[in-house]
Amino acid sequence: MVADAVWWRIAWRNLLRNRGRTLITASGLAFGYLAAVVIVGLTDGMMAELIENGTRLMMGQVQVHSAEYRPERNMHHTIGGYDGIDLEAFLARIESHPDVTAAAPRLYGGGLLSSGDETKAGLLFGIDPEREQRVGTLLSRLSDGRLPEPGAYEILVGVEMARQLELEIGAEVVVVAPASDGSMGNDLFTLVGVFETGTPAIDANYAILPLPDLQYLMAMDPGRVHEIALTVTRAWDTPLIASSLAASLEDSGHAVEVTPWTELRPELAEMIDLMDAVNYLIAAIIFAMAIFGVANTMLIGTFERRREFAVVRALGTSPLGIGRTVVYEGVILGAISLAAGALITWPIVVWWHNSPLDLTSVIGGFSMAGSQWRPILRIEYSYDTPIICAVALFLTAVLAAVYPAWKATRVPPADALADR
Amino acid sequence: MSRVSRYRLLRVSLTTAATFLLSAPAAPPVAAQTAREIIDRVDRMMRGESSHGRVTMDITTEHWSRSLDMEVWSLGTEHSLVRVESPAREAGTATLRAGEEVWNYLPRVDRTIKVPPALMMGSWMGSHFTNDDLVKESRIVDDYDFEISFEGEIDGVEVYEFTMTPKPEAPVVWGRVEEQVRKHDLMPTWVRYYDDDGTLVRTLTFSDYKIMSGRLVPAVMLIVPADKPEERTSMTYHELEFDIDIEESFFSLRTLRARR
Repeated sequence: MVADAVWWRIAWRNLLRNRGRTLITASGLAFGYLAAVVIVGLTDGMMAELIENGTRLMMGQVQVHSAEYRPERNMHHTIGGYDGIDLEAFLARIESHPDVTAAAPRLYGGGLLSSGDETKAGLLFGIDPEREQRVGTLLSRLSDGRLPEPGAYEILVGVEMARQLELEIGAEVVVVAPASDGSMGNDLFTLVGVFETGTPAIDANYAILPLPDLQYLMAMDPGRVHEIALTVTRAWDTPLIASSLAASLEDSGHAVEVTPWTELRPELAEMIDLMDAVNYLIAAIIFAMAIFGVANTMLIGTFERRREFAVVRALGTSPLGIGRTVVYEGVILGAISLAAGALITWPIVVWWHNSPLDLTSVIGGFSMAGSQWRPILRIEYSYDTPIICAVALFLTAVLAAVYPAWKATRVPPADALADR
Repeated sequence: MSRVSRYRLLRVSLTTAATFLLSAPAAPPVAAQTAREIIDRVDRMMRGESSHGRVTMDITTEHWSRSLDMEVWSLGTEHSLVRVESPAREAGTATLRAGEEVWNYLPRVDRTIKVPPALMMGSWMGSHFTNDDLVKESRIVDDYDFEISFEGEIDGVEVYEFTMTPKPEAPVVWGRVEEQVRKHDLMPTWVRYYDDDGTLVRTLTFSDYKIMSGRLVPAVMLIVPADKPEERTSMTYHELEFDIDIEESFFSLRTLRARR
């Protein structure tokens, strides 16, 4: 043990002997750490942006349907069948799940919207305005007007539909929809607001009505909805949360299907898996570069100390002891770099996270994988990224020391002392 | 929707009177006629000037069934008007077809709505007919190639069976249409519609041939979608008169809105 402490001290002194070099090596590692954490954080930010844009607007992170509803989306397959459900009780039951943060009921209908001479086919989206706002951001995208009041025959349409139908706030809109009894439901609605999501398919095709009004139009009881959309505590754990929710709804008496967003938008989930893999690749490249840099520096350090090692060997030290001191140098170097890296990384990441770089004015918005993107460079940090990067950095320093250490053990004392 | 189906369904649903106008006294077809000539002849014979009648449409689907009593008018091949008489909840609902356009009148909101192109393939009044079926302009002879796929006796009746395949560039939906026509009076018995893969999509069946206002017509037409054989829409004619005194101006949005 005493001998071990000596080797640690020797390692420390060796690092101090050439402070400039130690500082540069440690800085290299610290900046490698910074780069890895920031790049992974940026990619995580992009992923979060993708997930949020893909799910927050309308989809929710989990959807509950009648087991028969998907994929045909037949109007008659409401949750609980023809009789529907006790909506409030069912929502309360879903929200009692510890990982569910909000739930919103929805009814879908296809129909015609008409004003004056203009008529357009549209998707009727029946919602509970108050609940919907907790699950999706759609209702926050009003470019004009206000939200509809249930029971007042008020309606919202997308900005593109409003343009095509030449609608202004306050205009009358005839809505015609096939009803559940086979008749043609038709009623007059007043346009109270216009929304703009930036996604053309939504802005041109969606009309939003309060749930009870659409139920009446489609001759459906108040307990009949097609979908309950949820948000959950951890977007990444959605598949697990969905299956746990499904299990908890099993004795509800209704055959329901609980679907996480990863299944609703498989292409989005795949893209995120891909980005995750790219993340690891980038981190691996950064640390691989660092490993060669550090190994090079330490190799030079050990060559410089050939005579020293030879003397120590000649005095009877085992090769293992010499190797150990070089590895200890790597460990200490790693620890110093880590401390420095954390010190510079944290403030930068926290600052960046809180004031993301908005490039909207430079490149405008764009669509990717079916999601509207804000060109915002934001950083999302989780607890695992910095820890994984820290472990990687430490391993880098130690692994980089292994080859120089092995070289050091191979120094032949006689030849080195004889300067041969 | 193909020209054929447009034509057929239009004929059977809305311009019924005109459609069956000349069928009863049809001359026995000549064996040497080509398929095209026979179809063309059936076409011409069926095309009348005007008609007026009452029809009951019974619709059965997996989820609901209902029955509508309707009054129908037609003029030539371009114009028709249908108005629902009962049930009371939907009385006054009306559909006007003028040329390629289809308009609906909704008495509850007192508005007329032109069916947009996107919904032409949608269901008409919840039935198994589409809006597009109402729109005709039969260019059947131009759009399809014909052949007599069978000629002979089936169940004691001499029939022709025609197979119509769309010409390569024809703007039609069906991959193939088959029709059976009775030889002795040129009454159609069924029409089968196939998609591009050769799968049967729906079958239109004619029955209850009777003389109405002096002409032989199939009083009942039944359409059954092949993928849901338990679903059906039938049209039963109770009254039918031909060559009535009716002007083109009758088929206007004003008439469409007029409650009776």
